[in-house]
Amino acid sequence: MKHKQQDPLEKERFLRSKLDEYHVDVPDFPMKSEKTKGDRLIAFLASPTENPLEKLILTVNGVTMLKLAPIGLVMGLTILQFLIFF
Amino acid sequence: MARERREEELMTAYQAGDRDALDAIYWLMKDSLYSFLYRYTRDEQLSIDIVQDTFVKLQQHKHQYDPAMGKLKPYLFQIAYRLMVNKLNRRKKLKSFFPSLVPITKTSIDMADRMTIREAIGKLPPKQRAIILLYYYHDLPQEEIAVILEIPLGTVKSRLHHGIHRLKALLGGDFLEA
Repeated sequence: MKHKQQDPLEKERFLRSKLDEYHVDVPDFPMKSEKTKGDRLIAFLASPTENPLEKLILTVNGVTMLKLAPIGLVMGLTILQFLIFF
Repeated sequence: MARERREEELMTAYQAGDRDALDAIYWLMKDSLYSFLYRYTRDEQLSIDIVQDTFVKLQQHKHQYDPAMGKLKPYLFQIAYRLMVNKLNRRKKLKSFFPSLVPITKTSIDMADRMTIREAIGKLPPKQRAIILLYYYHDLPQEEIAVILEIPLGTVKSRLHHGIHRLKALLGGDFLEA
């Protein structure tokens, strides 16, 4: 690293040694020409996201609840139809 | 100095229509821009996107750059910094409305000792972090950092000073020589 005049880090040998440890591996990626809005939308939709059901999958009760939820939903809808039409 | 003059010459050539000059600028600046963005965000994909977007912006507004107004390196860093701040703000807003829609941050851990400095830099307030990174890793003078971040020179000096103290406190090492 280049030393500058009145460098506030000049006397901070330990800090500089720590900062020097932080190397970045630069991946190989090309320059892109102008991106269209469609490209941006596809990139956004294709980016990995957090699974909203992950917390449920981690516990036995959560998995059981996930399995039973569709049955409960169907039963609820059936009862609702009975109440409306009969 | 010679490298800086070369960057400016390449930009002038690109403004005159030389497409190869743009490729040369890209290969000269890509690593430096990516390193700054990655150290700031610790997000590989976001850093790649911003480097690419910076060059898209450069292409869109190639005639706005005037060598008389400043060097090319701080000009590109300024574009990248603005894009990064906007993207991070947008991501923050998105996260508050739809927590599960925010892309997962991919960070790689190489060594335990690097973790310490990475974490310490990550824990710095964003405004101090940008200054420490630009000053130490990119050899930029405080005047150019002020231009990139669009803040007064005095603010750069004080944030650099506070950033160094904060970093030392976070690392908690032996600073007897300081």
